[in-house]
Amino acid sequence: MTQTDYVIAAYVVAAVGIGSAVLWAYLTMRRAERAAQRLRER
Amino acid sequence: MHRFANPARFLRIARPATPLTFWTGLAIVATGLAWGVFLAPGDYLQGESVRMLYVHVPTAWLSLSAYLGLGIAGFSVLVWKHPLAEVVLAALAPIGAAFAAVCLITGSIWGRPTWGTWWVWDGRLTSMLVLLFLYLGVIALMRAYDEPSQGARMGSVLALLGLVNLPIIKFSVEWWNTLHQPASITLSGSSIDSAMLWPLLTSAVGFALLMASAVLMRMRALIAERKVAARTARMAMAAA
Amino acid sequence: MTAAQTRMKPKTQRLIMIGAAVAALIVAALLAMPALRQGAAYFYAPADLAAAEITPGQAIRLGGLVEEGSVARLPDGITMTFRVTDRLESVPVRYAGLVPDLFREGQGVIADGRMQPDGVFLADTLLAKHDENYMPPEVAEAVERAEAEAKARSAPAG
Repeated sequence: MTQTDYVIAAYVVAAVGIGSAVLWAYLTMRRAERAAQRLRER
Repeated sequence: MHRFANPARFLRIARPATPLTFWTGLAIVATGLAWGVFLAPGDYLQGESVRMLYVHVPTAWLSLSAYLGLGIAGFSVLVWKHPLAEVVLAALAPIGAAFAAVCLITGSIWGRPTWGTWWVWDGRLTSMLVLLFLYLGVIALMRAYDEPSQGARMGSVLALLGLVNLPIIKFSVEWWNTLHQPASITLSGSSIDSAMLWPLLTSAVGFALLMASAVLMRMRALIAERKVAARTARMAMAAA
Repeated sequence: MTAAQTRMKPKTQRLIMIGAAVAALIVAALLAMPALRQGAAYFYAPADLAAAEITPGQAIRLGGLVEEGSVARLPDGITMTFRVTDRLESVPVRYAGLVPDLFREGQGVIADGRMQPDGVFLADTLLAKHDENYMPPEVAEAVERAEAEAKARSAPAG
């Protein structure tokens, strides 16, 4: 493995790690806020 | 205190702040990382491996800062028993854990070509792994109780106990012989050349905003979930 | 007034108790941790070795800088010898195996291995230790030139 391969691996880990954390936060927020909205409209 | 930590007031600020922090954070991270990967020079010793600095160091700083926030939230939970502090505690823990995990893994990937090993049990690496376990411990404790505020109290105790680990991580490289190098950025200046320091600081600002947006999203999710739970409970009471 | 006072009391009490507990914990850790010096150290520096009474054959880690001009290859082409120094003491090391990319004279190194009765440290693995300086090659060259010049200038005077 060249040094560039290690660099790419580190950036992939960072993108997947931080990206999935933000995506999870977003999806759970959207689901919860929609559920709260539906309940209020009922 | 309560006046400023009121959930309705918080939501009025959080709703516009969430997309703002996310999009500016994303743009700044993209700028900082592109700068670091394509424009910044390689290092005289490490060569290309130095480019991992731009993700490893910001995630390290932020996982430590987030833990300090976790400690402050835990303190507020125990002292003022404020519901919004419980929400901050529950929102910060998983996001902080994700940043700590990314810091550990990218550090390991940097260590292989630089040091010649993926992992060693030196003071810095071990205390950083303990930080990840503290985050996971707080998450587990908060979920271990049926009553959310009981879980928040137990999680707060662990979050406060874990605060001791922050100075240990910071000073591990000075107190003990470690494989990890000592701090480059100190009060007396930086031993990182400015051609690498500026992209590093840029991506750190961007990652901080991304972390803030994720924490805001989780806080909004938790507030909405609590509203749903309270309303469902009220409706069940009314029906009975 | 009295009602407000009695309501405030447990809150203030919690603030003081919990604040004091956290402060005590952190102070205790700050006092205790540096005292663990050798126990938590990842490696011994050459100057620590004499004080630590290491018996030959005991597995330890030796760390320090690779002494300038000390690296030599033995005729077999695999075994290399060099000296590890902390600028106080220096220890001769013998090693046969893969050398990390960052291994070079004047840079940090950590060797896993054991002292032999003849005073030579026989290493099984080598790790390169990086320092806190990050700079582009041109800057490193400029620093080196400046240092050489400073040395040349001070030599005739001294």
